[in-house]
Amino acid sequence: MSNSSFPVPMLHSTIRIMAPFLLAALGGLFTELAGMLNIALEGLMLIGAFFSVVFAAATGSLFLGIVLGIAASVAAAYVFGFISLNLRANVFITGLATNLFAEGITVVLAFQIFGNKGVIRFENLARLPVLSIPSLQRIPVLGDILVGHNVLVYVSWIMVVVAAIIIYKTPFGLRIRGTGSNPGAVEAIGLSPKRYRMYAILISGFTCGLAGAILSLQMGAFVPGITAGRGWIALVAIYLGNKTPLGIFIACMVFGFAESFSNYAQGAIDVPADFILSFPYIITVIAMIGFSIVQHYRLKGSDT
Amino acid sequence: MAKQRVAKLLSTATGLILTIAISFAIVILLILVLSDEPGRAIYFFFIGPFTKAYYLGNMLNQSIGLMFTGLGIAVAFKSSTFNLGGEGQAYSGALVATVILLALPNMPGIVGGPAALIGAVVIGAFVAGLSGFFKMRWGTDQLISSFLVSSAVILIVNYFVTGPLDDPTNSMLTTARIAEQYQLLLIFKPSKLDISIFFAVATAIGTYFFMQRSHWGYEMRMCGINREFSKYAGINVGKYLLVPMAISGGFHGLAGGITVMGTHYRCLKGVTAGLGWNGIAVALIAKNNPLAVIPAALFFAYLDAGAKAAMLHADVTFELAKIAQGVIFFLVTAQALYGLFDSKKKRKKVAR
Repeated sequence: MSNSSFPVPMLHSTIRIMAPFLLAALGGLFTELAGMLNIALEGLMLIGAFFSVVFAAATGSLFLGIVLGIAASVAAAYVFGFISLNLRANVFITGLATNLFAEGITVVLAFQIFGNKGVIRFENLARLPVLSIPSLQRIPVLGDILVGHNVLVYVSWIMVVVAAIIIYKTPFGLRIRGTGSNPGAVEAIGLSPKRYRMYAILISGFTCGLAGAILSLQMGAFVPGITAGRGWIALVAIYLGNKTPLGIFIACMVFGFAESFSNYAQGAIDVPADFILSFPYIITVIAMIGFSIVQHYRLKGSDT
Repeated sequence: MAKQRVAKLLSTATGLILTIAISFAIVILLILVLSDEPGRAIYFFFIGPFTKAYYLGNMLNQSIGLMFTGLGIAVAFKSSTFNLGGEGQAYSGALVATVILLALPNMPGIVGGPAALIGAVVIGAFVAGLSGFFKMRWGTDQLISSFLVSSAVILIVNYFVTGPLDDPTNSMLTTARIAEQYQLLLIFKPSKLDISIFFAVATAIGTYFFMQRSHWGYEMRMCGINREFSKYAGINVGKYLLVPMAISGGFHGLAGGITVMGTHYRCLKGVTAGLGWNGIAVALIAKNNPLAVIPAALFFAYLDAGAKAAMLHADVTFELAKIAQGVIFFLVTAQALYGLFDSKKKRKKVAR
């Protein structure tokens, strides 16, 4: 990465920062299409982040760490789904519960295993492999921005395509969408909407687990509350992206840029750090309001 | 009618008992797995809060803030508006109350105290009211906007507490101490229990009558049951997207102000952390009934106190309370648990 000019490193880190948002939002897209507001994204990510780094350190293998981290997150998603669907609990409340539970269990386990409730560093953990293609990197600007990230960043891009294919081109995707828009029709052809809701929740567990793995593995450490509201912003990205994979990609890029900008602004302009940290939330709220204003007047226009 | 009410009450009670039993079972299981002295840890988790007047008083004190935030959420949920921003609203209330009291160091307590609490209510109502306004005006999702606004507010309050208002004579991240005449009377020394617990209970009773007997309360409950129907019945439904949110935020602000004046006497960084989230659980356990908020808040405070006692006397960490609270959150709305009692009875009837 060259430090030729200020915007290039900022855009480079935009690409890196947006990956967890993107993965969480893609998983959330499935639950959203299946007709559920999934606010558990945050907690599922946190569980993925904790278990992937712990298992990676324990097994000495990044790959195994990621797989087991995802497994833990999927298991948590299953509990979340079971209570919401089989015990018929309010999905919004169980989502909150998942977040609180994840916050508690990660700290309790960290304390019991490492005797430490703060930052847990894993010094001899391998770094996530970085994709470097010298020939592409030589392309000015674009090469600097797009190449040279860890492999999971590129996995998240592939997931956009995979999600789009599953949602729009497979019977499974059609049924997921049907479960949200017309569960009666899904039932009428002999399928269970409940089962497709569960599939959607498990998919969100999978992508959130991976999203969490990126967060902790790229730091080589676990920090309590490492997700820091990213699950919520991912949820907003689903709406702003108009519930399409491509739209979500763009929305996540905007949020990635907001955070990257905050990071760079901290060193560059004389604004207190806490104010700058609040920028992503404020930008997200403003984007949300803007979106609803557009929708509001579009609806009004079609009425007359 | 009366019979129906009893049946409903019983089904609610069995559901709650099951929920609490499962959460306790999970805590015990975790302690058995994690602790080297599980007997001691379990004893202090469940009995600890009652072993010393100090623990008991602090537990009662802890419930005060939860009563206010629980009431705030109950009012919002009862009206079908969603306030997920309690954390930021309570924190901003704590800050504003502190700022007002620090600005009036020589006022009599009876003047400055209420002024501070009014300030706390106003800021809480404003922060929550923003989301109500966005919803009323443009249909912006309240759930998410209230959370995002609150997250930004928390960071901004952090800035004031650790920046311009930081007390340089103190190594903690906190503002200066409020003057003595503003510190609420302690009623159960050496614990931190203060006189505001009576105010909290009175507020819960008042809120109950407001919701049940007043014109606004009636219209809010109608909107909660069916907004569309209420619209055709001539109720100004737009107004009731904003009003319950503002009331809810006001209660949260009050919780923050009382926490400062009754317990900490200064606005520490994160002084109200957890009050907002737990207020939601308290309201849910209380089934959004303002009177039931009182025991629900006591119960949640008991979980915290138990975990604290277990941490002091055994080898487990305080976050165990969060797990118990998370499990309760998970199950408290699970209809399957509440249906158990009903369905058995119905089944019996069918069998006969």
